[in-house]
Amino acid sequence: MANSTKYWKGLEQLDNDSSFVDANKNEFAEDLPVADFLQDQETLEGGSTSRRDFLKYLGFGVAAASLAACETPVTKAIPYLNKPEEVTPGVANFYASTYYDGSDYCPVLVKTREGRPIFVKGNSASTLTHGEVNARVNASVLSLYDNNRLKSPMIGGKATTWASIDNRLTKELKEAKNLKVLTHSLISPSTKSILDGFANGSNLMSEDAEVNPVSMANNVVSYDAISYSGILDANEGSFNKRVLPTYNFAAAKSVVSVGADFLSGWLDALQYNVGYTSTRNPEGEWMSKHYQFESNMSLTGTNADVRVPIKPSEMGGVIAAIYNGVAAKVGGASVKGATKNYTVRVKSAVAHLLANKGESIVVCGSNDSNVQTLVNGLNNMLGNYGKTINIDKASHSKQGSDAKVAALIKEMESGKVDALLIYGVDPVYTLGDRFKKALGKVKTTVSFATKMDDTASACKFVCPDNHWLESWNDANPVDGHYSLGQPTISPLFDTRQAQESILKWSGNNASYYDFIKAEWEQNIFPKSGAVMFADFWNKVLHDGVVEVAAAPVAEEVMPIAFAGDVNAAGNAVAKIKGSGTELMLYIKEGIGNGVGADNPILQELPDPVSKITWDNYVTMNPAEMKEAGYNTVLGQENPANLLSVTVNGKSLELPVIGQPGQARGTIGIALGYGKSVGKMTEPTGKNAYPFVGIDKKGNVSYVANATVTAVEGEYPIAATQTHQTVMGRDSIIRETTLDVFKNGTKDDYNPAFTLLSGKTDEHGHQKAKPIKEFDLWGDHPVKEVGHRWGMSIDMNLCTGCGACITACNVENNVPVVGKDEVRRGREMHWLRIDRYYSSEHEPLAAIGDTHGATMEASETGAIGAYTEMENPADNPRVVHQPMMCQHCNHAGCETVCPVAATTHSNEGLNMMAYNRCIGTRYCANNCAYKVRRFNWFNYMAYSKFSEINPSQDDLGRMVLNPDVVVRARGVMEKCSLCVQNIQAGKLEAKKAGTPVVDGSIQTACSSACGSGAIVFGDLNDKESAARSGMDNDRAYRVIEEVGQDTNIYYQTKVRNLKQNEA
Amino acid sequence: MHKEASIREPLVLGTPTYSDITNEVLHTIENKPTKLWKLLMVIATIIALWGVGCILYLLGVGIGSWGLNKTVGWAWDITNFVWWVGIGHAGTLISAVLLLFRQKWRMAINRPAEAMTIFAVFMAGLFPMIHMGRIWMAYWVLPIPNQFGSLWVNFNSPLLWDVFAISTYLSVSLVFWYIGLIPDFATIRDRASRPVQKLMYGLMAFGWSGNAKAWQRFEEVSLVLAGLATPLVFSVHSIVSMDFATSVIPGWHTTIFPPYFVAGAVFSGFAMVQTLMLIVRKVMHLEKYVTIKHIEYMNLVIIVTGSIVGVAYLTELFISYYSGVEYESYAFINRFSGPYAWAYWCMMTCNVVSPHLFWSKKLRTNLAFTFFMSIIVNIGMWFERFVIIVTSIHRDYLPSSWSMFYPTWVDIGIFVGTLGIFSVFYLLFLKYFPVLAFNEVKTILKSSGEQYKNMSDEEFKKLHPVKK
Repeated sequence: MANSTKYWKGLEQLDNDSSFVDANKNEFAEDLPVADFLQDQETLEGGSTSRRDFLKYLGFGVAAASLAACETPVTKAIPYLNKPEEVTPGVANFYASTYYDGSDYCPVLVKTREGRPIFVKGNSASTLTHGEVNARVNASVLSLYDNNRLKSPMIGGKATTWASIDNRLTKELKEAKNLKVLTHSLISPSTKSILDGFANGSNLMSEDAEVNPVSMANNVVSYDAISYSGILDANEGSFNKRVLPTYNFAAAKSVVSVGADFLSGWLDALQYNVGYTSTRNPEGEWMSKHYQFESNMSLTGTNADVRVPIKPSEMGGVIAAIYNGVAAKVGGASVKGATKNYTVRVKSAVAHLLANKGESIVVCGSNDSNVQTLVNGLNNMLGNYGKTINIDKASHSKQGSDAKVAALIKEMESGKVDALLIYGVDPVYTLGDRFKKALGKVKTTVSFATKMDDTASACKFVCPDNHWLESWNDANPVDGHYSLGQPTISPLFDTRQAQESILKWSGNNASYYDFIKAEWEQNIFPKSGAVMFADFWNKVLHDGVVEVAAAPVAEEVMPIAFAGDVNAAGNAVAKIKGSGTELMLYIKEGIGNGVGADNPILQELPDPVSKITWDNYVTMNPAEMKEAGYNTVLGQENPANLLSVTVNGKSLELPVIGQPGQARGTIGIALGYGKSVGKMTEPTGKNAYPFVGIDKKGNVSYVANATVTAVEGEYPIAATQTHQTVMGRDSIIRETTLDVFKNGTKDDYNPAFTLLSGKTDEHGHQKAKPIKEFDLWGDHPVKEVGHRWGMSIDMNLCTGCGACITACNVENNVPVVGKDEVRRGREMHWLRIDRYYSSEHEPLAAIGDTHGATMEASETGAIGAYTEMENPADNPRVVHQPMMCQHCNHAGCETVCPVAATTHSNEGLNMMAYNRCIGTRYCANNCAYKVRRFNWFNYMAYSKFSEINPSQDDLGRMVLNPDVVVRARGVMEKCSLCVQNIQAGKLEAKKAGTPVVDGSIQTACSSACGSGAIVFGDLNDKESAARSGMDNDRAYRVIEEVGQDTNIYYQTKVRNLKQNEA
Repeated sequence: MHKEASIREPLVLGTPTYSDITNEVLHTIENKPTKLWKLLMVIATIIALWGVGCILYLLGVGIGSWGLNKTVGWAWDITNFVWWVGIGHAGTLISAVLLLFRQKWRMAINRPAEAMTIFAVFMAGLFPMIHMGRIWMAYWVLPIPNQFGSLWVNFNSPLLWDVFAISTYLSVSLVFWYIGLIPDFATIRDRASRPVQKLMYGLMAFGWSGNAKAWQRFEEVSLVLAGLATPLVFSVHSIVSMDFATSVIPGWHTTIFPPYFVAGAVFSGFAMVQTLMLIVRKVMHLEKYVTIKHIEYMNLVIIVTGSIVGVAYLTELFISYYSGVEYESYAFINRFSGPYAWAYWCMMTCNVVSPHLFWSKKLRTNLAFTFFMSIIVNIGMWFERFVIIVTSIHRDYLPSSWSMFYPTWVDIGIFVGTLGIFSVFYLLFLKYFPVLAFNEVKTILKSSGEQYKNMSDEEFKKLHPVKK
C-alpha cells in the first residue's frame, strides 16, 4: 500500500487560505523587481552584465550545448558473465575439422578467436594431404561471414520458418512416388547412410515401403560439376571397378601428363601436390622428370621439365603414341590412333618411362573413356599399378556418372520425377537451361544451397544448409582414411544442416551429431582396433583424421588384372578429329568449378599463370594474336580485344589475352565464372559451362571446336603482373639444369655475387670482391645474436599455386580492392608470386654474365636485345617466385622515412609502425622489391569498395584477425613475417622455459605451403630448417649486389634437363 | 666613387627623372585596376579555385584519386614539387648572387623575380604536403618536442632534409624580398591619399624614415641577407636532388644530381622569369627599365645552364653504359627507348637542343622568340623531372612489378590549379606591390643634367612649377 502520509510545507499550505493560493501561482515566492529593474536606466547601464557579456554567455552556452551533444558514440565491450571454459580472450583455439566442397577434400585445423573461426590451415596429421591446403580451402572462412548467405528457409522465394517447411515437405515428400536426390560426390559415410535410407524410403515411408522399392543407386545421383566420368568408366572397363585410383606421386620418377592439371584442378590435386613436390628436390637421391603435353598453359605445365603444346584433339593421339612406344619395347601390340607429331618429345618421354618402369605415372585430363582406357593400359604395361597407382585403395572424391545424370534429366523432362532434392551442387548454373526446364517439370524441388544460387532460385523449397564451419560431418575420401568435421561456431543464421533436415523429414529427430556418432560406433570403430569408443571418438575429434585398415587386401594374392579393350579404345581415339579453333575448357586454382566464384579474396587471387584477377577470358597463342591484329600487351590503359567464341551455336563474348605456351590453333576458357560476388550486381566473368559438350549418351567433354570472331569493343583486364619476362636478370632468378647441378660446382650454377674492386691484379684486371666488402654500413647487430627471423624459399618446390597468398590475406586482414583498383596496379597483397616466362632472346646458358651476353646476343645491339627480351618465348619455361618483404638488414625503406615509421627490429625484422606513418610513399619507391603496399583509400568505408570489400559490414568484419591492425587510409603496409605469430610463439616458449623450437612458429604463408617451398625460421639457429636452406649451395638472395643484406633466401631452380636440352 | 665605362650602355633607357620612375612604377598601385587585370584575375581565380577543389577532393578521398600505383609511388606530385622549387631559384639567384657580384642590371628584374620565387616556393611546398597520405600528421616531420615517447624524426631521410631546406629557403627569400620592399612601401605610404591605403602601406613600411642611417642599414642588411641566401640557392636544389640521389633506384642513384639539379633549377627559373617579365614589361610599360639588354643577359644564362644540363644528361648516359651495371644501363636504355621515350625526347629537345638557338644574337634579342623559348624550356624542365621520377621507378629491379603511370583528372587538375593559384598571387603582387625596386633603380639612373641644358624655359617651368 502506498504511503499516504502527507507532509505540509507550512501552516499556510495546511490552511490553504486564499493568500497562499495566490502566492502559489507565482513561480517565485517573492516579488521580482523586473519592471523596476528595466525602468531604472542607471542600474541597467551600470550593471556588470553588458550586452556583450550576454552575447558571450549565450554563445558559450550554445557552443557548450552543441559540444555536449557531439559526444562520441559509446561502444561497450561486455565481459563474459560466465566465461566459457575454453575461450580465453586473446588466446586462439584450434579445432580439427574437415573441408569438402564436392570436389576438394582437405582435413584442416580451424583457428578461432573468442569463438570466431578466423583462419583455416591444413592438418598435418593427415597422410593424404600432409597439411597442404589450397587457396579455396583457406579462403573459405570468408564465406562463413558472407552477408549473401541465405538467412532463413524459403518457400517459393519467400522467407518462412523451419516448422512450416517441415510440415509441407514431410507431406509432399511422402506423396512423391519418384523421389530423387542430386548431390555432389558423397564422401561422408553418415550422409550416404542418411540419403541411402531416405531415398530408399526406408526411413521416410517405413509403413508402405513397397510403394518406392527402387534401389539407392538409382535414386541418389552423384554429379560432379567437372566430370571425371571418363576415368571412372575406363576403370570400370579395365578393372571392373568404377572407382578412382590413388596416385603416389612421391614414388614416381617419371611423370607424364597429357592435359591433366594434376597440381591444380585435376582429381585430388590437393593430395598430389606434396607427393609430387617431394620428388622435385635436386639434392635428393633422385629428382623426378615431368613431361607435360597440353594445350593451355596450366599450373602443372608451368612446373614441367618438358612441356609440349598439343591440340586438345591430340590428347588421345599422344597417349596412343606413347602407348605404342612403350608397347614396342615391352612386347605389346600397338594400337591405332597414334599421332605422328611431336615424335622427339614422345620418344624422349617413352624412353624415360621405360627407364623407370613401376616408378612412373601417366595421367591424362581427357574425359573420354577410350583415352583413359589407353592410359590404364599404358600404366599397366609400365607396371605402375600396385606401385605408383593403387586401384585397390580407391579415392571417393569423384563418383559422378555422366550417363546417370543424363538419365535423370531425361526422367525429369518426361515428368516422371515427383521430387528432387539438390544438395551441394548448382546444376542450373553448370548444366544450363536444359536442366532448368527439366526442373520446372518436377513438382517438389528442394535446394540445400547456402546462397541463392541459380538452382536455389529455381527451386520451390530452399532449405539453407549450414556453412561447413558450422557443421558436423565426416568423410571417407580414400579407402581407410576417415576424418571428422566439427562446428567451430553456432549457426549465424536461421539455417539447418541438410543432413539434419533430411533426418527430420524421415521422421528421425536425432541430431546429425548423434547420427554420425552412432554411424562411427557401428561401422568405423570396429575396424580401428581401439578399445573404447568414447576414447576413439575423442581422439579422432581431436586429431581430425584417423586411418583404419581398409578392407583386407593381400597385395601378393591380388595381381592387378587389366581387362581393358585397348584396341577398341585405340580405334575410337583414331576417330577423334579436331577442326577449326579447338577450345579447351579448364578450371582455375582460385575459382575451381565455381565454388570460389563468390569469394572476393579468391577472385582477387591472381591466376597462377596469367596473373589476371576477377575475370575469365580466352587464352590464345600471342603469335596468333599478333597475326590477327589483337593486342597482346595488356596494361592499365591497354585493354584486351573482345572475341566472340561460338560452340555448338552458343556464343560468348570474352576478352582475349596472350598466353605464351598455348598450343597454336587452340584457345582456353576457364569455367566457374559468371556469378556475382559480394554485393556486386554485375556478374564477374562469363559462364562458360554452356560450352561443355554433352553427347547423346550424356558423356561430357571439355574439348570443343569453336569459331572465333573478333567483335567491336575492348575490355579492361586486371592483372597483377603485366611484364612477363625476367629480362635476363640472373640475380633475380637463378636456374640451372640437373646435370650442371649434379656435376658442377656452386660457381657453375649459383656464383657468388661480386663487384669489381677497382684494384687490379698483376694482369691488370680488376679484382672482384664479394658484395659484403662494399657495404656502406657495418654488419647489422642481429647477425648471430638472439633471433634473426628469415625464410628460405625453394623455387624447385614452389608450384605457384597461390595458397600462401590467400592465407596471408586472411591472416593479415589484407583488404580486397576490386577489379578497377587491381587494373590500376594497386592490389594490396603482401605476398605475391612473380611468374616469369623465359624469352627466346634470353642468354640462358650465360649465368653470371648476362649483361655481356645480352649485348652480343642481338644483332640489333643492347637496345634491340632488351626489346626482344620483353617477349616471352612461344613455349616458354616458367618460374614461380614468391615475393614478399625481404626484411633487409640494410633496408632502403628504413633510411628514407622522414618520421622513422619503418625501422629494424633487433630480431632482423623490418617493422612498420602504421600509426607513425604519414604516407610519403618514399619507402615504397626506394624498395627494390616493390613489396610495399599503400592504402590509397579508406578501404573499410569508402563507397567505391562497399560492394567488394566484405569488411565493410559488421558480419564481414568478424573474419578479421584481432591480432593484426586494420590499416588506415594513407599509411604504408607490408609483410611483417606474421610478427603476431612470432610474438605468440616466443611467449609460448618463454612460458615453457625453453628456447623457441624450430618450426613451432609459422607464418601464414609457410603454414599454407604444404610442399615446403616456404620455410620460416630463425636464421641464427644453426639447426633450423631455414638456416640450412640459407647455407645450402643453391641459396642466393635476390639482387644481392644492391647490398640490402636481406633475410629471405631463395634456392636456385633446377630443371631436370640436360644443359642444352630443349 | 662610382665610375662607369663610357661605352657601357645605360641600364635605364631614356631620361626619366626620379619622379618619373616613381610615377610610372606606382601608377598601377595608385589607380583603379585595369580591365585587363580584372579579366586575368577572374580567369586565374577560376583556375585556382578548380585547383583548390581538386586538392580538397584529394584530401577527402585519398591519394588513390591520383594515378599512382604500387610501383610508381611518386609521379606528378613530386614532379610538380621539383619543378616549382626549380622555378623558385631564379629570384634569389638574381637578387642575392648578382648583388654580391655587383651586377646592377639585376635591379630592374629582381623584385618580380623574387616575387616569383616566393610564390613558386609556396606552390612547391604545397605538393610535399598534399602528397602525404595523412596530411593531418604532417607536423610529425618537424623535430618538435612531443609526447610520443622518444619518437623523433629520422635525420637520415632526405625528405627531412627537404623540410629544412625548403623552409629555410622560403624564410630567407621572404625576408630578403620584404626588406627590399620596405623603402618602396614607405614611398607609397608617403604618397597615399586614401586613409586605408596610407595605413596599410604605413604598417608594411615598418616606419621607414628614409634617412641616411636607414639607407646605410638597408644596404648592410641586404648584403648580409644576400650572403645568407647565396648558399641556399645551391643547397635547396642539391638537397631536393638527394631525395633521388641517396636512393637505390637505378636512374635515381646518381652522384651527379646535386650540381645537375641546381643548373636545371637556374635554367628553369630564368625561363620562368622571362615568361613573366616579358608579359609584365609589355602590359605595364616597363620597357624603359627592363630592356632588351636584360632579356639578352637572361638568355645567356639560359644558354649556359642549358648546356650544363645537357652535359649532365650525356654524362648520365655515358656513366650508365660505362658502369656495366645491368640495372643502371637498362634504366637509361629504357628512358630513351622504352614506353616513356616520348617524354625523354621531349625533354632532350626542349632542354638540350632548343637553348642553343640563343647563340644567334638575332634570336636572343627577339622578344617573341624569347617568350616562345621560355615556355619551351619550362615544358622541357617539367618533363625532365617527370622522366627522372617516373621512368626510373616504373621499371626498376623486379620486372614483375613494372608498370605504367597514367595521370587522373585530379593529377592534372591540381597541377593546373597551382598555375592558377600562382597567377592569382602574382596578379595581386603586380597590382598592390611596387613591381620594380624603384628606389634602387634610381641609384642606377644616369643624372648628368644634360637634359636640363637642352630644355626650354617653358618646358622647365612645366616640369618644376614655382609655387607662390
